[in-house]
Amino acid sequence: MVAWSSIPQLLSSGTTLGAIYALVALGFVTITRASQIINFAQGEFVMLGGVVTFFLLKGLNLPYALAALIAVMIVIVIGFLLQVTVIYPLRKASVLILIIATLGASIFLSNTSALVFGTLPKALPPFSGEQPLRMWGITVVSQSIWVLGTTFLLLIVLFLLSHRTPLGKAMEATSTDPLGADLLGISRNFMVFLAFGVSAGIGACAGILITPIFFTSYNSGTLLALKGFIAAVLGGWGKNSGAILGGFALGIIESLSVAFIPSGYKDGVAFAVLLLILYFRPKGILGSPFIDSRRW
Amino acid sequence: MPLLIIKEITKKYDGVRALDRVSLEVERGTIKGLMGPNGAGKSTLFHLISGIEKPDSGKIYFKGKEMTFLEPHEISALGVGRTFQTVQTLGNMTVVENIMTGMHLRLKGGLISSGLWLPWIKKAEKEALNEAKEILDRFGLLGRWKSPASQLPLGKQKLLELGRALAMKSELILLDEPASGLTPVEIQQLSETICQLKKEGITLFIVEHHMGMVVEIADEVAVLDNGKLIADGPPDAVRKDSKVIEAYMKGKRVDA
Amino acid sequence: MVKQTKKEFRKRDFFYLIPLWGLSLIVPDADDLYSYRSKEFRKREFYYLGAVLVLPLIWPDPHFHHLMVLAGIYAILALGLSLFLGYAGQISLGHAAFFGIGAYTTAILTTRYAFPTIVAFWASALTAAAAAFLIGKPILKLKGYFLALATLGFGEIFLVIVRETQTLTGGVIGIFGIPWFSLAGFSFDTYLKQYYLTWGVVLGLFIFSKNLVRSKLGRAFLAVAGSEDAARSVGIDVAQVKTGVFVLSAAFAGFAGSLFACIMSTANPEAFGLGFSTLIVMMVILGGMGNLYGPIFGSILLTCLIDILGRYQEWSLPIYGVILILLLIFFPDGIGTRLGIRLIYLVGYWAKKKKRDAGKL
Repeated sequence: MVAWSSIPQLLSSGTTLGAIYALVALGFVTITRASQIINFAQGEFVMLGGVVTFFLLKGLNLPYALAALIAVMIVIVIGFLLQVTVIYPLRKASVLILIIATLGASIFLSNTSALVFGTLPKALPPFSGEQPLRMWGITVVSQSIWVLGTTFLLLIVLFLLSHRTPLGKAMEATSTDPLGADLLGISRNFMVFLAFGVSAGIGACAGILITPIFFTSYNSGTLLALKGFIAAVLGGWGKNSGAILGGFALGIIESLSVAFIPSGYKDGVAFAVLLLILYFRPKGILGSPFIDSRRW
Repeated sequence: MPLLIIKEITKKYDGVRALDRVSLEVERGTIKGLMGPNGAGKSTLFHLISGIEKPDSGKIYFKGKEMTFLEPHEISALGVGRTFQTVQTLGNMTVVENIMTGMHLRLKGGLISSGLWLPWIKKAEKEALNEAKEILDRFGLLGRWKSPASQLPLGKQKLLELGRALAMKSELILLDEPASGLTPVEIQQLSETICQLKKEGITLFIVEHHMGMVVEIADEVAVLDNGKLIADGPPDAVRKDSKVIEAYMKGKRVDA
Repeated sequence: MVKQTKKEFRKRDFFYLIPLWGLSLIVPDADDLYSYRSKEFRKREFYYLGAVLVLPLIWPDPHFHHLMVLAGIYAILALGLSLFLGYAGQISLGHAAFFGIGAYTTAILTTRYAFPTIVAFWASALTAAAAAFLIGKPILKLKGYFLALATLGFGEIFLVIVRETQTLTGGVIGIFGIPWFSLAGFSFDTYLKQYYLTWGVVLGLFIFSKNLVRSKLGRAFLAVAGSEDAARSVGIDVAQVKTGVFVLSAAFAGFAGSLFACIMSTANPEAFGLGFSTLIVMMVILGGMGNLYGPIFGSILLTCLIDILGRYQEWSLPIYGVILILLLIFFPDGIGTRLGIRLIYLVGYWAKKKKRDAGKL
């Protein structure tokens, strides 16, 4: 039973979801470009963004904007700490060890969040009121506009930072040519350190944006991280543009799938996409600078 | 009939012709050298022969049968062994196990029979171990037979790789820059070993920069330059060929 | 008063710790990697066998028996995975799914169709192996992070399918009432009996694996890990070997899952997720890759660790995360098993102390 009439609505919610996946994917790619590592704790940054903001807002009664800002800063600090305590000591370790270590960090962060902030799902108030808007026959939650708008803004800010500031350029250099950048005196470890901070910040923003629409609880991070990663691979692993394209693509595919298959399988769609992509075109839609064509 | 026949092989990478209609032959029981300046396409040719890459056009025949598009492990099964430019010994195993791995195709044994350690598996393993030790003895590696292969110095690792190819009882062994990284003494030992193998009937095809070594032991030498075959014949003749000298001279000093 | 109880505690402790102590003297060191493949090692192995046989009789605590039963099941899992991970050098973050396939196969066959458990046992391994074969073909072309992700993806798809197919698998709730494992009328219904059952299977599979590893197939596994090009150059079909090890390790997981279902009497999806896959991989890493004692040792160690952490209730998982990271930083090649057994001893000592203080002894 295909519910054709719901498609426009699904497209709209899919785009919103896609923006979040795009941000998560961007977080992954930022770290991978600087350090060749895949950070399985990425989703926890997103989760913490929402959860910490909720705590500051409801628990400490801070104004919304301030709570959000402080939360982002806290999560960035957590990102830095993660790099210093886990990634740096393991900088020479094998791929396998790094995977398990970041998974361990993910376990630690998600369960500590459960301890500190409780296990109940949290919802933040929408940025601009509860009234949904009706546009072209579909209902759009006002928060969605915020999500898309902020995502767009974030992308512009990131682009400017990475191409106009010295630090940003240094990070780009490390991604493109680690050895060359090293020879120029750019400290690889510091770049990785920064990458973790940036990635955490992006994740936290994504978390704050999405929590008013979907609830966030201590274990939301894992699934979100996986989907963000799948999005990055889909779009073209290792490219910022790939992460963004893949994010939106995955969000739309996942949303649309509900019209065709029972909704319980929705989470499986992302993974099916992953397996398909890895089998047929591991380079992703836009191609990947990291994958050696000879070996695949 | 020549053991190995390469006919009009062309290989392109991103539009650049790494190999351009190269044809050559290797006679059974001889040592053939393949030389040329850096980037001439020597390693590419070896990759094509051993199956790691596939040519864009042309054919390769071994013992009269075409093997152009076979998989590397199928080519090995036909009787082609190989060593690598960057020594690919199996560092996670002991020296003797490296040799025994070379015997993979010759040993019989499936999942169930091995898992149950049936009597004939035990016997086969024992024989394999003895044969491996004999090969090691030949190369002077017997003393370290239980050490992890990664602990051997480079020269010995190259011998180990050669021993592994020998354990396959291959009829043709491809040697990819065997002398690189070796001291003059080791190169001499290697040359002697290679000649010894030839006496036993093994055909050897060697890519090598070290002109002295090649000229000494090869029966024939082929020279590539920019993907094209520019000379093919007895070493003395090739050495004096003007085209060859020019190829090596291009912006470089003459060393050999 | 305090002095008296302290003395009493120490005497009791010695008695319980002698077997662990003895074990610490004979478990292979990380550097013994190559010698253990030789004949001289045989004597030691009889000691291990003896220790395994005798252990539950020396320490008759049922909780300990239950723990060791679980450790045995995880050992089977880890053993299979170590062939794929430690020998053939590939990565899988989805083995919990094969474990789950095994458990559910047994659960369904025994509760819905009244198959005898022994038949379900073999069927579980077969189903898991078949699943591995199907997804192995495309996935095993990948390497490193991508292979890890693909296996992870498979694990998650498995969970989604289990949760959604209510009629077959009982969905989120799972399946109940799985009978005890039984063989020719003899039912393994106590922890002690189950201990000997599971460790009997461990022994059998261990011997099988050891033979495999000593043969040309074992060398083929190591060759694929060492250098795929070199492996191909000696005629090893790398793709076939990878698939073969993957399927074999899945079969082991299937066996383990079947035993798990019979012992826990229930099967539900929560046990078979990424967290568990991570745990099994950790067991293989921690025990030391490249030898078969590693996964067994690793599973015993981590099972004990988790049991001890359980006392800390809601703090257990955060602490677990930290411990994982610390272990990886300080013991990336596995705990030199001598050191590790000493650790078990210390941990066991401390746990008994806590129990004592809580007035339970």
